[in-house]
Amino acid sequence: MRGIRIVAALISIACFPLFSHAADLQFTSSTQYLWYQDLLDTLDKDEVAQYLRVNVGKLDKEGKLNLYGYGRVTKQMSPGDDWRGRLYYIYFEYRDAFNNHLDLRAGRNYVNTTAISGTIDGIYLNAKNLGPVGITAFGGRHVIFDEKQEIGNGEDTLAGASVYVDTVKYTHIELSYGNRYNNGDLARENIGFNISTTPHQMINIYGRFRYDTVADTNSELLVGAKLVPVKKLTLRGEFYNFKPTFDKDSFFNFFGVNNYKEISVDAEYLLTANYRVHAKYANEDFSDDATGDLYQVGVLARPIDELTLNVDYEKRNGFAGQLSGIRFNGEFRIRKAAILAGIDYDDFRREASRQGNAKKYWAAVHYSITKQLRAIVRVEDNKNFNFNNSYQGFAAVNFNL
Amino acid sequence: MSKNMTLKIILLSTVFLISIACLSFARTNHRDYRDSKLGEDCLDCHVGSGVMNNHGPFFAREHSVLAQKAGNNCADCHEQSYCLDCHNGGNIDTDARRSLSRRGEAMPSTHRSHFISIHPIKAADDPQSCFRCHESKFCSDCHLQKIAVNRSGMSIKPHSPIFVAPSVLDPSWTAGHAADARRNLQSCQGCHPEKANCTNFLCHPNLGGR
Repeated sequence: MRGIRIVAALISIACFPLFSHAADLQFTSSTQYLWYQDLLDTLDKDEVAQYLRVNVGKLDKEGKLNLYGYGRVTKQMSPGDDWRGRLYYIYFEYRDAFNNHLDLRAGRNYVNTTAISGTIDGIYLNAKNLGPVGITAFGGRHVIFDEKQEIGNGEDTLAGASVYVDTVKYTHIELSYGNRYNNGDLARENIGFNISTTPHQMINIYGRFRYDTVADTNSELLVGAKLVPVKKLTLRGEFYNFKPTFDKDSFFNFFGVNNYKEISVDAEYLLTANYRVHAKYANEDFSDDATGDLYQVGVLARPIDELTLNVDYEKRNGFAGQLSGIRFNGEFRIRKAAILAGIDYDDFRREASRQGNAKKYWAAVHYSITKQLRAIVRVEDNKNFNFNNSYQGFAAVNFNL
Repeated sequence: MSKNMTLKIILLSTVFLISIACLSFARTNHRDYRDSKLGEDCLDCHVGSGVMNNHGPFFAREHSVLAQKAGNNCADCHEQSYCLDCHNGGNIDTDARRSLSRRGEAMPSTHRSHFISIHPIKAADDPQSCFRCHESKFCSDCHLQKIAVNRSGMSIKPHSPIFVAPSVLDPSWTAGHAADARRNLQSCQGCHPEKANCTNFLCHPNLGGR
């Protein structure tokens, strides 16, 4: 029943413009048939899914009021399975109110700050252009999606605020606060700080810091610099420090934990408009002499306009295990169609545990029937520790208005 | 440096920068470019403009820094569905190139082939990254079901307590257990989400919490 209510709500939104003045309507529908093997009982499963996304713009004469909605319903084809629904968001947005000084979102929407992030049934305000300063505030019921349903109740809340400054050109500084309550009890309370500045056209420096007031500890620190010495080369170095923290009522709070530290460097070079190479190295430190090294290299190539090839190699040694894996995929476009395919191969050694390799082969075809209507089929075969062959895939019809 | 001192420095820095408020700058609306191909075209504006080019091969990691800024311009090109298809599981745009869950939901590229086998390794690369999309319940839901069906099939590093005499733990096991827990306590939640799951052998009798 919940799934049907979600569909009805989104269809109602789509009809909304009929009763107002000339609003802009964008409507996306994806009807999918999926098949896969269940991990636990290894039985074949069939499922249907209907996704709907509706954007209604310019609901008022000034064109500042918009409405956005996105949800899906799914049902396993096996008898006795009920429809499952997921309403990702549905909110009104009013932009640039009070002479371009306020943006407002009301309804179910996703909020994101350094201090805290999540989906809320509530309000988000952004008071902006107050000189160089802006203020955000948000709060509402915290929406938590389980596999089958939404969980939580009215006493699960998420709220926060931030003050930010866009001061010296290309500099953003923001101080944020956020809390989360579970069943009416404080679970998390964080203070966040983030900064990004480009003092010279060749260098960008950024950072993020989060302090957990419940655990009374610095839980996250990121400091990075991005350098563009020549037009087609981007270099980056980062230091990241993280200390796990837990909900206030969790018994895990009573244990001591180590910091995780990571130093990484990466580079991206655009050889020509159609060839790009990239590489990364990260040194991971889990304390108590436990470390890890991560290496990544990759190439993106478009040898002809219609063909895109992408290959990535990753190697990891150290704490938790070893991994050596390659991913290769390509896309070839022919008029209204595109053929895509890829192979993933991973060889792994988990610490004092499972080892072996895993392979994934997939292929897909996109076909544009009309400008608004598109069909997609994707199939995938997995060979791994659990399955000799595990097939999964979907066939979808997408409609865009 | 004490924690109080750190907080004071942050607050004073913020106040100082507000006080030197200078020019706020005009932002380019990217809606005109939303259908453009990412690549060299971006460099026409983004080299020497003061705003670095992004959306490169490491954008999965980089994007959080940009998306957490209030007043960011992500919405010029992306709807919230673009975020939530990864963060909350969905795939309305049916992007076939993405890593997909069994039920066709988009996942970040870190979810390589048979992620169930390799997730203990990948989760070690930035342990916080799992919790940006998953509640801890996501781990325990699957682990507890798997334990109920086939405990030995979990192939987890052996960590049951070893006793050298009744009620006397092997000191080397205790040391290893403590070191593992300190390094990776979040992963313990996967099978032991509640105190009762962990203290049934009464090693930690006086812990508070749930």
